[in-house]
Amino acid sequence: MEVGDIVRQLVPDGAPNEVVTAIERFSAREAEWAPMPAWVRPELAAAYRGRGIHELYSHQAEAVERIHRGENVVVVTPTASGKTLCYNLPVLDAILENPDTRALYLFPTKALAQDQLAELQDLGGSLGDAFGVFTYDGDTPADARRSIRQRAHIVLTNPDMLHAGILPHHTKWTRLFENLQYIVIDELHTYRGVFGSHLANVLRRLRRITRFYGRDPRFIFSSATIANPGELARRLIGGDVEIVDRSGAPSGEKVFLFYNPPMVNRFLGIRRSCINETWRIARAFVHHGLQTMVFANSRLHAEVLLTYLKRDNPQPPGEPEIVRGYRGGYLPTERREIEKGLREGRIRAVVSTSALELGIDIGSLDVAVMAGYPGTIASTWQRAGRAGRRKGGACAVLVASSRPLDQFIVRNPEYFFSGSPEHAYIQPDNLEILVNHLKCAAFELPLQEGESFGEADLELLCERLAESGYLHRSGGFWYWTQESYPADAISLRSVTSDNFVIVDETGPPKIIGEVDFTSALSTVHPKAIYLHGAIQYQVERMDFPGRKAYVKQVDADYFTQAIVYTEVERLEVDESAAVDGPAAKAHGDVRIRSQVVGFKKIKFYTLENVGSGNLELPENEMHTTAYWVTLRRALIDALPYTVSERQDGLFGLLYALESVACLLLMCDRVDLGATIGEGAPDVAEPPRAPNGAPSDGEWFEPALYLFDNYPGGIGQSEPLYRIHDLLLARTLELISGCECDKGCPSCVGPVGETGERSKEAALAILQRLVGGQSTELRRQP
Amino acid sequence: MTAIPDRLCQVAALRPKSGAGGHAHRTEGRRRAEELASLLGGRMEQNGRGSHFRVRRRFAGPAAEPLAPGAWRRLSPGSVPPPCDPAGWIFLDTETTGLSGGTGTCPFLVGVGWWEADGFSVEQFFMRDYGEEPSLLEALSERLARFRVLVTYNGRSFDWPLLETRYRLARFGAIPEPSVHLDLLYPARRLWRWSLESVALAEVERHVLGFDRGGDIPSASIPQRYFDFIRGGAAGPIAEVFRHNQMDLCGLAVLALRLNRMLGDPEHSDCAGGELFGISRMLQKSGELPLAGRLFRKSLEKGLPRETELRAQRELALMAKRERNFRVSNEFWEKLLDGTPEGFDAYEQLAIYYEHGARCPEKALGLVREALVRLRESCGSGGTAEDRYRKWHGRLCRRLARLERKCAR
Repeated sequence: MEVGDIVRQLVPDGAPNEVVTAIERFSAREAEWAPMPAWVRPELAAAYRGRGIHELYSHQAEAVERIHRGENVVVVTPTASGKTLCYNLPVLDAILENPDTRALYLFPTKALAQDQLAELQDLGGSLGDAFGVFTYDGDTPADARRSIRQRAHIVLTNPDMLHAGILPHHTKWTRLFENLQYIVIDELHTYRGVFGSHLANVLRRLRRITRFYGRDPRFIFSSATIANPGELARRLIGGDVEIVDRSGAPSGEKVFLFYNPPMVNRFLGIRRSCINETWRIARAFVHHGLQTMVFANSRLHAEVLLTYLKRDNPQPPGEPEIVRGYRGGYLPTERREIEKGLREGRIRAVVSTSALELGIDIGSLDVAVMAGYPGTIASTWQRAGRAGRRKGGACAVLVASSRPLDQFIVRNPEYFFSGSPEHAYIQPDNLEILVNHLKCAAFELPLQEGESFGEADLELLCERLAESGYLHRSGGFWYWTQESYPADAISLRSVTSDNFVIVDETGPPKIIGEVDFTSALSTVHPKAIYLHGAIQYQVERMDFPGRKAYVKQVDADYFTQAIVYTEVERLEVDESAAVDGPAAKAHGDVRIRSQVVGFKKIKFYTLENVGSGNLELPENEMHTTAYWVTLRRALIDALPYTVSERQDGLFGLLYALESVACLLLMCDRVDLGATIGEGAPDVAEPPRAPNGAPSDGEWFEPALYLFDNYPGGIGQSEPLYRIHDLLLARTLELISGCECDKGCPSCVGPVGETGERSKEAALAILQRLVGGQSTELRRQP
Repeated sequence: MTAIPDRLCQVAALRPKSGAGGHAHRTEGRRRAEELASLLGGRMEQNGRGSHFRVRRRFAGPAAEPLAPGAWRRLSPGSVPPPCDPAGWIFLDTETTGLSGGTGTCPFLVGVGWWEADGFSVEQFFMRDYGEEPSLLEALSERLARFRVLVTYNGRSFDWPLLETRYRLARFGAIPEPSVHLDLLYPARRLWRWSLESVALAEVERHVLGFDRGGDIPSASIPQRYFDFIRGGAAGPIAEVFRHNQMDLCGLAVLALRLNRMLGDPEHSDCAGGELFGISRMLQKSGELPLAGRLFRKSLEKGLPRETELRAQRELALMAKRERNFRVSNEFWEKLLDGTPEGFDAYEQLAIYYEHGARCPEKALGLVREALVRLRESCGSGGTAEDRYRKWHGRLCRRLARLERKCAR
């Protein structure tokens, strides 16, 4: 059976309906060709011909030409359009021309570097092994490192390793730095938010080091489609970058469906579960022999889906499994094996988190099914791009969850299909990030007076660092004066560099995976059910100082979800203004404390809440920036509701505000946090309760906070302050336009959790905030 | 970014680490040089790259001794240049701003020592501030150029790579390493890790060489003493670092002499069992097998800790086997039969002997069965880790299957 047949089963008349809200067909496109440039060395052209490449796609030709001319280039083209050739060809040509030439490739993950290694080694084989290419990362054995430093023409690594393993030891890498001509940065679009801000600073350090060795290397970026690739690349390197974005690659026929799970209770606004519907749809494709990739937005959902699909497709005796999971926590060898199985077609279905969204070479599959909107337009296209057979057609299905963002997208398909993709924001001059990298920079080479490092006032910062004992000024230079190695304490990806390892004690103890510190608190707390490879483990105990979680296999009919309590403290107001309500809007600095205080047990399939427990885990603290709206007492008093109804309204409103803010900022959902706190600065902090509301009484003047989910902030709060009016107007549209009666997961949150009058109260507050006129409750037909 | 000054106090990365960042009282630079000079008897030195502070001292002992025959190839197996007497050796030890390595760790005091006609000379190069480093490096390279053998303690992986980094950063063209680098940590580990908890130089001095440093400072305090000094702190605490470094160099020289004697005539030196075991392993490395065998036996006579005893017996069994002296090797294997790594080796070796040598597969089969029982017991009691269990289990099972077929025929 072909893709088209199954699509016809889902939508027999071929027209959108209440469930399948969009059917977007993309016709096949022919390739645009360009000849292999004349300057390409004959042996290299022959090596490519040996792999069936006689001509280049037009975008490849344009990119290699610009790189050859010495320009910095960013190549922006869809999945599987041959972007690696754009950088490999000019780099290899330069190495063949002059064997001293060196290049450094950065990939966001180790898996991507491995993938590229295989491709380059293959090419190297047909060039008589004229160049050395090696990965250099945390998995590289210590005894191989010395020889790699000497022999590698191309070093494949990641920003984390560059930051902590290469730059602080640059004198051991003299061969590389003295001859460094190209720096390739793949998957540029992943470097946004805090990761991108860190990378910009790592690159500032890298450029200091290359200057020390007298080099000025060129940068080559490749990126998935985002709105501002050129701007992002320019901000990352602080220099000019040319954009190549007209793809000449061919593409097969494809259909993209938006699927909104049917309503089962219109009154409560409850739809069928997104997970179960994804399972049902994926199962149908797998059943008909189509190779299928399922994406989930969380590790937990991925494991639940994997459990279901494995039960449908049990492992044939004596043969390898045909359904596999794939995510960050899996060990490298396991991942390589899965990638191979996918390419060879042995594995018929894979359930992944965002890990397989990036350009890991697994070939093209028939179908991609997404459980929930991935959060950004760019990610959605990346995931959909995994389905792309040249023959027989391919299909991508987005199954909406009941989250407001998902509902907005599937109800307004034109927003997705005709809208521009997201902007990637970074803030390289975030002081917290910049100062940390300034320390690393001083460790690597003494900072010279008059040197520049981003926008910072270097002199002032160095003086502060000297007062704190980090630096010492001598003869026009600032020297590092600490015993410690600063890069060790700085993680590019999260608040801390700690990882928890998961130790399975069912038999002899063995490590089965790891999770980063922040998610450890909510995924491997005591009594949590940890799913790995669809096997359930229960966490027996957590060794906090040793960063270990000990688990044993169990057979439970539920999984667990952590309950997180968040508290906010206002530190400084940058700007504030009175707005309608009466209320006040503001943005500034805050301190966020969050703590996992308990967990819920959720039953498989029915997803009922079947129990809960309390936990005492350490607090996490973060200093960041926030935008907030403080509701004046007069507004609160004017609401015709009880104290608890008002609170329900506030939480409902916050829930909707957060969703709309993500949409307007075009940011990843994880980038933004939301909480409620006391507004008036002279009133003491409210006492805590598990759901974040005061345990008795109510806030005098409550404030709704939307904060940057990164220490130091990444510049989203001020834009929110500027679009305050638009944010409230859109939120009002979302809630009043929702079909539910008294609140549902798609607007203010499920009525069972937010209270009977949450939607009504949230609307009443909103109407006062947008200027007092009452807006009719609109019902969609 | 006009608002920077107000925001700075909120930046966690700018705050001092707990306890650090005390402001030492500033004393004027020149006066402190005088203070140091009066405490240590050194002076400022000028060269083409600036100036640095230098201390010279002469110690009456230890007296140099000629190189014992054989000691060289045992200490430095495979080194090309012909041996030279300890009088041609230079000892080196650095005091640094940290132990983590990398380009931000700096050796601020480099001490070297060598023998002269009338005693042991120590010279120390010190930078009073970072700006004096190039001059220090220049003086050091001139001194090193006069010697052929560099002797350190853990210098191969720590002091020397660090100095190489400093020469690179200061853009020196050539890096002046003497032609042979003898790192005494390696022989010290071989000889004393069985009897000492730590083979840190001061521990070896105390327990092996029999002298106590008395009022020495803890090494961990050294970086902070330097940071305090460059921020204007008093000279007293840093003077103690100089003395510590002198003790390290003298200790290193005494250790070198002790090793020279022990390795020169290991059969007649008064060594403990563990030391003999270590020497035997070194002799295996330098290819002196008959002597190694004699010393393994002697070490067993003198008494060894259990773990080392098993290893010595295993080595002797393997050596006898290589000489095809099966009577002797079997004798050792028989003693070793047990649920230990050496024990599994022994079961396997005996099984090989009975299967192929003595042509008695039934006896081999019995041994393999017994070994499997021992292996299960040992894994059950935690004596064998899972990966080793799997390795041995596979090997034994393959042998078992073959022997069963053989015996059934």
